[in-house]
Amino acid sequence: MATMEDLRAYGANVDEGLARCINNEGFYLKMIGKAVEDSSFEDLEKAIEVKDYAQAFELAHALKGVLANLALTPLHDPVCEMVELLRSKTDTDYSSYLERIRTKKAELESLLQ
Amino acid sequence: MNELGYIESLKRRILIVDDEEINREILGHILEQNYEIAYADNGETAMSMLEDGGGRFSLILLDLLMPVMDGFTVLERIRGNERLTGIPVIVMTSEKPAEVRSIKLGADDFITKPYDMPEVILARCERIIQLYEDKSIIRSAEKDDLTGLYTREFFQEYVTRIDTYVGNRPMDAVVCNIEHFHMLNEMYGRKKGDRVLQATAAALFSLLGPEDIIGSRPDADYYYFYLPHRDSYEEIPELVQARLAERIGIPGIRIRMGIYQTVNKTRPAEHRFDHAKLACDRIRGDYTRQILVYSREMNERDLYEERLIHDIDAAIANRDLIVYYQPKYNIRGEEPQLCSAEALIRWRHPELGMISPGDFIPLFESNGLIQKLDHYVWEEAAAQIGRWKKELGRAVPVSVNMSRVDIYDPELEQRFLGLLQENDLTPADLMLEVTESAYADDAQGLIDVVNRLREQGFRIEMDDFGTGYSSLNMITTIPIDVLKMDMIFIRNMNRDEKSLRLVELVLEIAEFLKVPVVAEGVEDKAQVEQLRKMGCDIIQGYYFSKPVPPEEFEAFIRKG
Repeated sequence: MATMEDLRAYGANVDEGLARCINNEGFYLKMIGKAVEDSSFEDLEKAIEVKDYAQAFELAHALKGVLANLALTPLHDPVCEMVELLRSKTDTDYSSYLERIRTKKAELESLLQ
Repeated sequence: MNELGYIESLKRRILIVDDEEINREILGHILEQNYEIAYADNGETAMSMLEDGGGRFSLILLDLLMPVMDGFTVLERIRGNERLTGIPVIVMTSEKPAEVRSIKLGADDFITKPYDMPEVILARCERIIQLYEDKSIIRSAEKDDLTGLYTREFFQEYVTRIDTYVGNRPMDAVVCNIEHFHMLNEMYGRKKGDRVLQATAAALFSLLGPEDIIGSRPDADYYYFYLPHRDSYEEIPELVQARLAERIGIPGIRIRMGIYQTVNKTRPAEHRFDHAKLACDRIRGDYTRQILVYSREMNERDLYEERLIHDIDAAIANRDLIVYYQPKYNIRGEEPQLCSAEALIRWRHPELGMISPGDFIPLFESNGLIQKLDHYVWEEAAAQIGRWKKELGRAVPVSVNMSRVDIYDPELEQRFLGLLQENDLTPADLMLEVTESAYADDAQGLIDVVNRLREQGFRIEMDDFGTGYSSLNMITTIPIDVLKMDMIFIRNMNRDEKSLRLVELVLEIAEFLKVPVVAEGVEDKAQVEQLRKMGCDIIQGYYFSKPVPPEEFEAFIRKG
């Protein structure tokens, strides 16, 4: 089970995220657990693969909101950068963003084990 | 009476609309301490929850970008639904341009994403709910100075609010009234009257409540209460009266209650209390019961009466009202002699068929419309007598009814004289019937009117004699030409001794006054013979004929 220290070390803005959960650590961790299980991550990869940028934007935008609320900065940052590119339907290589997201998500998952 | 505390303590409901479960849960987690929370994961679900109406929401927190139906569409739909426009909406967004668009669509405030600190969100929600609730209350005095109960406007607003917050809990609307309160005021003075009003309010409030109840004194001695449903109110009036006797020292104060149980909350608050008040007023002056529960039948009766009131003008214009004539026979001689007739109204409604006079006459007497009917009957009868005189060379005097309201018509005399002139009649052709109870209401006023009419030559019959409250002293002083004995005595005179004695008594009074008696409602030969023996002069009733239309009555005149 992750501790607040683990999350801090990971790079999350724990104070902010925890405050939003009225300093309820259990609730905060539960929400983070839900976030890493969110199918939107996979759906985003699929949408990018088929270059459905409109769909990809919606998914990334939704993820951005959730990650921001939980103050999961290491995941939030690459998603946020993607949102800005996708907003203007930029046809570019998103693999580096997706790779960063995958790595950071895996890191978080292992913390939560 | 801390009713406001009760309302304030009710948890407001907030609807959180967001497609992201985590966002919904974080917000819900923040708000659930102070509010009851419901969730929707898209606009369509939200709209069906809002339109469902089962317990209203005090606030909607709305995400904009959602599948199925987005937040903008929700805002538009809310704006197009009058019932929902009173619910404030806070939009949750991270996009500036979206803010402008949502404001134009009626959003009240914003919560940014990522969310502000919980205190900020709570404060925003609280502020906007407060603002909307205050906005919906008319700025007037909240409480009645005398009783501490709410004034009408506040009460209605709070009833609506309770519906909002207690959702599907069954509620009753109760209306109470103090019987003959104006008399208490007159007998004991205004100050004492005010104390009665106060003590009644306090007793009702504590006996019906004191928890979970709100009350109002919208008018004079009427009290309205809104409370969770209870099966029985049976003991309440007596308990209230006992408290009044004990605290005020006036015995015999009676209260009555009308109750609309498990109100239909889709009807506006004032309608529910109209129903309860209708029940309350229906037992006014009825000393056999103090509680009446509003029923579907009463509602149907109510609608039926509304319909009759609505249709009366058309009935007059279309001549759906027909004047019938019932003969009166003098039985003093060998053979009964037709001596006069009574004009009686019948209503042949184009859709409802024949309507019993018992359905519309008491109704129109209670609201003053009877005057229209009376005028119609007078005109029709006068014209008919005129036609008979012209066509048959003779007619019989016809009596028409005069209602209480007619007596106060300053043009009454002129109206009758005009009718005589128009139809070539003399005052002997038209007799006027006044019910005995009208004398009891305002004896002197009526005596003056009757005297003036008699000076013009009209004869006055006192109708329904024996059922009113005339004292013997009054009877001897009022000017009348005929006594009409109420049919109830005739109906029972061969069945019970008491009715027979009363018939004798009426006949003796008539003899003393030297006026003839008409016995109404005579149905068989035995009654005729008995009445003849007892000295009754004139008989009206089915024994001779039911009331008939003018063309049939002609035969009676021809026979003489």
